[in-house]
Amino acid sequence: MNPVAAEKPRSPLSRFWHKWRFHINVLLLLVPLGFMPEYFADAALSRGDTGLGERDIGEVTVGPWSLRLAELHNEAPQLDGPAGYMKSFNAALCASCREQVKATYLRIGKPRSLRAAGVIFVGTPYRMSAMLPIPARTRADAELWITMEGWDGAMHQASIPLSQASPATLAWLSTQRGTP
Amino acid sequence: MSKKSRSKIWFLVHSWLALPIWFFVLIVCVTGTLAVVSQEILWLANPPMRASQPSDDAPRLNYDQIVAAIKKAEPDTLIESISRPDESHFALDVEVSYPDGRSATVYVNPYTGTIQGTAPPFDFKAFTRALHGWWLVPFTHGYSWGWYLVSFLSLPMLASLVTGLVVYKRFWKGFFRPTLRIRHGARIFWGDFHRLSGIWSIWFIAVISVTSTWFLIQAFLFDNQISISTEPVAAVVPRESVPLSADGSPAPMISLETAIRQARARIPGLDERFVSLPDNAYSYLSVGGRSGYPLMYQTADINPYTGDVAATRLLSDRSGLEWVTESMRPLHTGDFGGIWIKLIWFFFGLLLSMMVLSGLLIWTKRTALATANALKRNHKTSGSQTAATIRHESTQVSQ
Repeated sequence: MNPVAAEKPRSPLSRFWHKWRFHINVLLLLVPLGFMPEYFADAALSRGDTGLGERDIGEVTVGPWSLRLAELHNEAPQLDGPAGYMKSFNAALCASCREQVKATYLRIGKPRSLRAAGVIFVGTPYRMSAMLPIPARTRADAELWITMEGWDGAMHQASIPLSQASPATLAWLSTQRGTP
Repeated sequence: MSKKSRSKIWFLVHSWLALPIWFFVLIVCVTGTLAVVSQEILWLANPPMRASQPSDDAPRLNYDQIVAAIKKAEPDTLIESISRPDESHFALDVEVSYPDGRSATVYVNPYTGTIQGTAPPFDFKAFTRALHGWWLVPFTHGYSWGWYLVSFLSLPMLASLVTGLVVYKRFWKGFFRPTLRIRHGARIFWGDFHRLSGIWSIWFIAVISVTSTWFLIQAFLFDNQISISTEPVAAVVPRESVPLSADGSPAPMISLETAIRQARARIPGLDERFVSLPDNAYSYLSVGGRSGYPLMYQTADINPYTGDVAATRLLSDRSGLEWVTESMRPLHTGDFGGIWIKLIWFFFGLLLSMMVLSGLLIWTKRTALATANALKRNHKTSGSQTAATIRHESTQVSQ
């Protein structure tokens, strides 16, 4: 609270500090400015303006049907509190099967039954998403299984290598070896 | 310690609380003030958001008619939810999904069902809220550090309120004898302004700082996996109750009006504000709105195939603690009773922003004065004199 120090002469640096010390917080404005491009990119991604996801995986045929898969973010799985590491995938159903498919599921490893088909996709057939838990001990040669269930009770499955579905996840897994 | 020096310390504390971060506090106040009326600003700027009535006696369409009108205009567009803003001069906000994978909010006229326009890609409302609420810092693991940065300001704000009232002796007299001296120079004017708006804003500053303190606690609880919620984990529609169809076409769902009727039967007096359509074949349709208590919503999850109410979240389901915590956000934003409450929040938000500025101006003017005085007696040790200046100033402020 004593802006005028008793000792003289004062260096230009000290004068500068005394003059501007309470205005340095203006620099905090750099934080939102810096994050602004990311904010708008995220908003565009969540609206679907920049495609299904950050990285397209491609069309996957599942029995008579097919769907287009994408990674929401082209990055390693993210820790989601006690739920563990999660990875988001987006999907769009083929135009001809939108009315026929009742539900779509995603799982690492082949499901034993429809009841254990994995996480269910949420959203419209045009763009739906699923948060898939990725255990740190997942093997590098693991497969991502897609299960689709029809309104008539039919069930179809297909799989793609995890390395194809998400190279970023595979890279992350290689750093997780040895951790439980 | 003498009474005088104690009040000097309080005064110093009061000055120091916001001074080093005045600009940050100011921007948070200004963006918060804008966020309160962001919806109304958009209404002014964006004619498709307005619910113009074709004729004076035109009735509002019901939800099924709205759905039918959208289906007719854009057969491939899928509706995800319909919400009805608090003020009747707003068009309905309908969240839709397009075949190309884009999603958008479209504005639908509640009287004609016409899709009047699409929300612009730059979402001013979301942007001001994100800037105000978390300084645009992204949420990655739990709450963003920007959220902590902003909500932490609640503590100096609460302390400013308390120390301000301690420093301002017999502040209640200010209510009866309001003083705003315009012709005595900037220093006097801003001092009067700071005190006058301060006492009239006591309630508002208390509301804002207490609710923001809750936001700080909320983030802390979440990030430490401490839950105080009594809300059950969202369930899914049981497999048995989702019908199969021989021809492989989707099972028919109940109409939205049926769903609303079912919800009203369970929540008396429900003034429904939104209907969310199921997210997939195994998820519920939900209807929510207020009834009775303006600060909380009540919702019902309805089986879209049978119309049974599967779950409800009622006022009576909330614990005593949740009554407090769930009321915090509407109290903070002023969004619980239409335009007039928002305008009151907006006005006091402006006043609060001005208090940050006037506080700074008082300090700069006083410092300028103190500096000038000190320079006059430049070769003396100025410690005691500066203290004297401050004491003089602080007495002036507290009078």
